Amino acid sequence: MEHVSKSSVLQLGLLVLGALAILTAVEFTIALTINIWQVLAVIPIIKAMLVFYYYMHIYRLFEEDKDIDRESFAYKLATNRLGLWLFLISDSFIFGGLMISRINLLGLTRPELIQSLGLAVTVVLLISSFFANRAEVCMEYGDRKQFILCLSLTLGLGILFLIGVVGVEWRLAPFGPETNLAGAVFYVMTGFHAFHVFTGVVFLAIVLRNGMHGRYTSEKHWAVEASVVYWHFVDVVWFFFYPALYLIGTLVK
Amino acid sequence: MRKIYSIGLVRGLLWQILGTALGIGILTGIRYLMGLTAWKGESAAVFGALLGSLFFVYGIGAMDDWIKVAGGQEVHEPDESGWGSMRYFGVSLDHKVIGIQYLALSLVLMIVGGSFALIFRTELADTGMQFLTLMEYNTLMSLHGMVMIVGILVGVAAFMNYLIPMMLGARDMAFPRLNAFSFWLAVPASLILLSSMALGGFDTGWTGYPPLSARAPVGVQMFFLGVSLAGMGTVLSSLNIIATAIRMRATGMTGFRLPIFVWGSLATSLVSLTATQLIGLSFQMVMFQRLFGMGFFDPAKGGNPILFQHLFWFYSHPAVYVFVLPGLGIISELLPVFARKPLYGYKWVAISSFSIAIIGFLVWGHHMFASGMAEYLRVPFMYSTLLVAVPTGVKFFSWLGTLWRGKIEFPVPMLFVLAGIVVFLIGGLTGPPNATIATDLHLTDTYFITGHFHDTMFGGYVFPFFAAIYYWFPKMTGKRLNETLGKVHFWLMAPAFIILSTVMMRTGLLGMRRRIADYDPELYLVQDHVVMTVAGFLVAVGILVFIINTFWSLRRGEVATGNIWNSRSPEWQVPSPMPAHNYDRPFEVVGEPYDYGLPGSVYVEFKEE
Amino acid sequence: MKRYVTILVLVIVSTFVIHAWLVGIGLFPTGASTQSVIIDQLFHVHIWIISFLFSLIMVTLIYSVVIFRRKKGETGEGAHLTGNSTLEIAWTGIPLMAVLVLAFVGATTLGEIRAIDPSALQVRVNAGQWFWQYQYPEYGVTSTELYLPVSKQVNLQMTSVDVIHSFWVPEFRVKQDLVPGQTTELRVTPSLIGVYKVRCAELCGLRHAYMEGLVYVVSQTDFDNWILKQQSAAPPSPELRGQQLASQYGCTNCHSIDGSAMNGPTWLRLAGSNVELTDGSTVVADDDYLRTSIISPNTQVVMGFQANVMPDFSTVLDQTMVESLIAYIKTLK
Repeated sequence: MEHVSKSSVLQLGLLVLGALAILTAVEFTIALTINIWQVLAVIPIIKAMLVFYYYMHIYRLFEEDKDIDRESFAYKLATNRLGLWLFLISDSFIFGGLMISRINLLGLTRPELIQSLGLAVTVVLLISSFFANRAEVCMEYGDRKQFILCLSLTLGLGILFLIGVVGVEWRLAPFGPETNLAGAVFYVMTGFHAFHVFTGVVFLAIVLRNGMHGRYTSEKHWAVEASVVYWHFVDVVWFFFYPALYLIGTLVK
Repeated sequence: MRKIYSIGLVRGLLWQILGTALGIGILTGIRYLMGLTAWKGESAAVFGALLGSLFFVYGIGAMDDWIKVAGGQEVHEPDESGWGSMRYFGVSLDHKVIGIQYLALSLVLMIVGGSFALIFRTELADTGMQFLTLMEYNTLMSLHGMVMIVGILVGVAAFMNYLIPMMLGARDMAFPRLNAFSFWLAVPASLILLSSMALGGFDTGWTGYPPLSARAPVGVQMFFLGVSLAGMGTVLSSLNIIATAIRMRATGMTGFRLPIFVWGSLATSLVSLTATQLIGLSFQMVMFQRLFGMGFFDPAKGGNPILFQHLFWFYSHPAVYVFVLPGLGIISELLPVFARKPLYGYKWVAISSFSIAIIGFLVWGHHMFASGMAEYLRVPFMYSTLLVAVPTGVKFFSWLGTLWRGKIEFPVPMLFVLAGIVVFLIGGLTGPPNATIATDLHLTDTYFITGHFHDTMFGGYVFPFFAAIYYWFPKMTGKRLNETLGKVHFWLMAPAFIILSTVMMRTGLLGMRRRIADYDPELYLVQDHVVMTVAGFLVAVGILVFIINTFWSLRRGEVATGNIWNSRSPEWQVPSPMPAHNYDRPFEVVGEPYDYGLPGSVYVEFKEE
Repeated sequence: MKRYVTILVLVIVSTFVIHAWLVGIGLFPTGASTQSVIIDQLFHVHIWIISFLFSLIMVTLIYSVVIFRRKKGETGEGAHLTGNSTLEIAWTGIPLMAVLVLAFVGATTLGEIRAIDPSALQVRVNAGQWFWQYQYPEYGVTSTELYLPVSKQVNLQMTSVDVIHSFWVPEFRVKQDLVPGQTTELRVTPSLIGVYKVRCAELCGLRHAYMEGLVYVVSQTDFDNWILKQQSAAPPSPELRGQQLASQYGCTNCHSIDGSAMNGPTWLRLAGSNVELTDGSTVVADDDYLRTSIISPNTQVVMGFQANVMPDFSTVLDQTMVESLIAYIKTLK
């Protein structure tokens, strides 16, 4: 394996954040101006692919290791990785079903929500993903202090996201789940997503605590990788849910 | 007292009761603090049941190691060798124990679900309501369907978890703790499902369509929750199967040297890993409609009842392939052994399982031809549905090719394999009339459909399931099931079932609708119903004989510790019952799995340590 | 070679035998629509296919099981035949083409049975738990029995007032669900004069089994006479009309007239009595109360009973019908 310097990997992480931020700014602008749903549907796909590759390092799934000792840590690590991705594939079907429901029930209309709040929580989650990636990279390079700092920031931003959506947006929305169809769709989508954010927060908190107690090393830190990859998945779901609820379509009262 | 508490199942149930009570209390408390009317039975029941199930899996110890790891501790797999038979009642990480636990649960569920059928088949033997109320009938009929489905899912899990590590040469599944957790989740899920009877029952059928399910009695919430929980167990179990089949293979076991059962299991697991989430989602959306007033399927709020059907059938159609692909894999696995010939066209059979699984994702609309769904969808679904016949046909022709010019023997497992083929044939042949829309408009929602799916379920699951039990019972226990009793079981069950399903189809064509507690005397079908009821009871007697055989053989069965079927498969190269971690020496795959009749050929070679 | 010939002969014989059996035992109700003729033809194609494929596989299976069984004392294994690519391609390709042809036939059949006759008779169907109502907008007639003139296409525009139901007359062969909040359409051309039954074919609750109604296919003349009779019929007294409606629309499935407890409050001595509602208030069951109870029952639920159980009759019962029901209820002292 070629030796890549820690600083260049961290730099790459920052570049990816930059790209994601730009794409988010673009979709927000398009939504407010020309609002072409086809464009707004493609941008999340690009964001997702960036995260799948650079943050979630999906390519690690395809590394050849047939000849490694089955009982070795490396082999079991790769098996765990497969298990995690299978779980994410399965989980994505729930979110897929929710998207289909939103499209079928609301079509090209969208609920009346607070745009600045929507953009804010999206940015918060995006930055949390950046720090999650940073934390994982630092752990890979044995920098425990930076790992703890970055993971703490991830955790804090994740909690901030929950406060923003469940604490604020849910309260301020001009409808309840029973008021109309837009309300029902909004609450069920953000509810399922928030539940996953919550479990992600719990997972990260456990990993942070164990990390602070020196449980993980640069060679053995599967829990860190797993919690961070799960966290990125939750962010990717939001890449799709955000435009679906906030950006695409015309307002329905 | 402590001894009883040490039994996992007891502990789990006690914790479930605690969790249920706590959940009811917490929910009531939250409502009170929020300023709502404190007591709302439906909400309390749902939350209580949910918390109860979580407390069950915690209390039985299925989460202990994960909690330890979360706390920063190391965990190691325990040495279960001294545990004795009580380990079947608690958390074991041994896939063979878990497989048998799944098997026991599936038999219990099938007997319970089957008993429901016997009850309402007795009611249906004549027109008029004899002894059931309409709600009792509808509840029993609905539960019969879903309990059987959960029983099948659990039974499929039994065989996949028991056999796959052995067939691959692994000592256990990729994720043993996940395996145990997945099993134990199915227990409270089943209890919750059955508890619907105590909460007013429900009148919606196993498909739970809104708006009817949105206004059904509270029992329907237990139905929805029980299925959602069982579904989660299925998803996790599928994850395990796929990871194991990909990662835990012996040296030399390339794709086309895998046992065919593993191919079938992989195809199944791909479907159940993903599609299952949709039945959970669709049921949960109705739960939310009832609990929170969310109008997804409520026309008064602009909702769309047909959306439910799309979401529901997107899982529930592929689900039937989940039910049958393992059983068809068993048929493919056992025919070579009893015909002493290779599996004809093995590669094509292997791929056919995947073809069925993939095409199976694209056909769900055929359940909705009369539903009022968008017109332009109907014909494409007809094409895709008829297409499934092609890979299915490949399997049938392959089976014939395997028998042709064989040296066929007929121990009891083979009888059930052959019955499976015949019955699945009938089921499969009655598929195309359902697939062509114009004829389906007459057939849908009649007993013709009921006959069709009972045929496919019995042919693709029940008969192969019994074949597998008779075949691998010695591997599990070191004893054989009694051949004579096995033949009695077979000759009672198979002809009776064929008559049952054939008469079902006849009555359906003549006007007998599904899911009706009573039927019009002017249909002149009373005689047919009597025949169906008697046939149903004969099937039950056959199964009773099987149960007796099982208990008797566990104690006094003929000892069978060697390779009694002369199989090439690795698990039969070691003594029975299967040793603790399966193989004390690893093996390498050096030949084809089904090269019976090729002198000097060997499938696996054990390495010297 | 001899084996293949034997099997071929047996398959052909078996196909004809099974076909004859399936046709002979009478599996279909009398066809009474033009659609049934087309559909039964397609069924017949299926019967041939089933007879043939069943024979093909069963004959080969039974032949193998008999001829290739291990005889007593025989040792050795079976022939080492692993497969044959040509055969595989053949038995994949031929069924593939066959199903494509069958699907095409299915599509054209569907097109034929859905043919639109612009001069079709328009009938609106409203279904609810557990009744059928038919409205003839051209004639201003409403009925709970379906009268249809023979040889004329009827365009059924259907909806449900509560849960999903389904319209099926087995003799007509076609079926269509009725979905609340949507209008679904079914076109049928009855071809045989007679009396039939429509049977609800989608589980719709407790009394789904009993949700059947009469369908009269009559000559055009008889139909016209029936319409005239409906239009000009001297209305029975409101009380009598109310009693008929209570039965036709299934009210008495939930409301007893003798005081016994059912899903809904009893009508015996209801009119003018004091009624306690779920919100704690007590009201008098006057005409306004009864009216609201019929068309907007969820606004005032009686203590001890559930909301959202009674169907929505607001689009099904017109003002006269409601008044008749009230009149009838008042007779129950």
